[in-house]
Amino acid sequence: MRNWLLLLVFVPGFLFAQPDSTAAAEDYSQYENLDFADEGAKRYCTSKVLDLSPQKLISVGFDFQGPYELEEAGKGKTNFDYSSGERLQFNIPVISKNSVIVQAGLNYAAQRYSGTADSKAVLGRNLLENGLTTIGLNLTVFKPLNEKRFLLFQGSSDLNGDYSFNKFLNLKFLKYSAALVYGWKMHERLMYGFGLSRTYRVGEMNYIPVFLYNYTAPNRKWGAEVLFPARAHYRRTFSSRSLLLLGYELEGQSYRMNIDGNFSYPNFGNPLTVVAPINGAELRRGELRIRAVFERSIKNFIWISAQAGFRYNYSFNVDEVPNGDFFRGFFGDQTYGMENFLGNTFYSMVSINLVSP
Amino acid sequence: MKNLLLLVLSTFTLFAHSISAQDQGDRIIGIWEPSNGKARVKIEKIGTRYYGKIVWLKEPNDPETGKPKVDKNNSDANLQTVPLKGYRLLKDFNFKSGNEWDGGTIYDPENGSTYDCVITMKDNNTLDIRGFIGISAFGRTDVWKRLQTQKK
Repeated sequence: MRNWLLLLVFVPGFLFAQPDSTAAAEDYSQYENLDFADEGAKRYCTSKVLDLSPQKLISVGFDFQGPYELEEAGKGKTNFDYSSGERLQFNIPVISKNSVIVQAGLNYAAQRYSGTADSKAVLGRNLLENGLTTIGLNLTVFKPLNEKRFLLFQGSSDLNGDYSFNKFLNLKFLKYSAALVYGWKMHERLMYGFGLSRTYRVGEMNYIPVFLYNYTAPNRKWGAEVLFPARAHYRRTFSSRSLLLLGYELEGQSYRMNIDGNFSYPNFGNPLTVVAPINGAELRRGELRIRAVFERSIKNFIWISAQAGFRYNYSFNVDEVPNGDFFRGFFGDQTYGMENFLGNTFYSMVSINLVSP
Repeated sequence: MKNLLLLVLSTFTLFAHSISAQDQGDRIIGIWEPSNGKARVKIEKIGTRYYGKIVWLKEPNDPETGKPKVDKNNSDANLQTVPLKGYRLLKDFNFKSGNEWDGGTIYDPENGSTYDCVITMKDNNTLDIRGFIGISAFGRTDVWKRLQTQKK
């Protein structure tokens, strides 16, 4: 009886032990002609091309701009020794499936100014005292339609102004941006698309066409990352853990400013200038950053990104916007409340990032 | 005799549980295709854990060299000449319970990175493969589909 018991205890172990299938050489040709077990299954294109610069889940950065001046329309002058500020970004994948990818994000950017301003330079004095702050939420949806075609949507709502956490800005001044792109993923190294965007990248609200183009060369040593006109970069890949981007980015927002005083209409230097109090000031800040960006993994998924370049001012004018916003576009003839001159300068930015798998 | 009968019965009950859990876990065994369709992965059981290796590549040869693709992005220089076909990219998964296999890692040959990974079987022919960094929120899910021999 004891032997029977021993048999009962040990036999199942032998019965269910799995052979190590790796022991024998495998005939891989047997895996060539296979179908989906689920007849309704579909293949979809993915959202990236090979070697695309890594997507940042968490980014903590610091931006620095060298000395430059601000000349306000008929008012006064401010000399900034420098401006700088923190930049934080959080991006969390909410839905991540083959058939749809949804990602939500939060960003914070501060710009603090140091320098001296004339007594009449109301904008410059305000910037020196309060700086500029942006807090925003964003959503990105990648919807592949099949193995080749896809839709890409990006939307964001940002609160921009001279506010602080103690003196917060009314949410009615939120600015909304969005872009929708219809694209084609030709192969693992090329995707492109065309679309339309509502954007504040040139400082004021605008509706412009967009062109997406992500490409990696067959030798995987270089490529291009373009979302024109927002940004365009040539990419040099040194390894899977380091790369260099050369190109530009348009950066801008419309900021709600709490400025007291009278402003000149319509334009700087115009002899017909009328002076009147401004009712609701929106600073239209838009700049072009021509830059080199070096990114490198410092440990596993922790990457450092260092960029340097030239910051060229596109717009630093002020509009009078009592409520909501208006569309001027490139051809509108609405006059600015203040037409300002902002000098150009060199800039640099460093960030530590947790990148996506 | 009565005690002996009880012992035999309880032993059988234990084995029945063990067999049942094993059957549940073994549902993952098979050939699977990741969403990008560039590879096919055979998930098999070795000992008590589950592993997955590449058994087919859509583009088997490196376009630059014309030779079979190797793991050239591996951070370990000694492994950069290992062929991708046959490469074990899923490692050390335990069947947890229900429809989940955890405790394993997934390797991405395209960037040479290894991620923590949990596998969830959505239905008999669909796996959610979630690679993540530290905590599951910082991750990405890829959906793999089961393959079978072509119907004639």
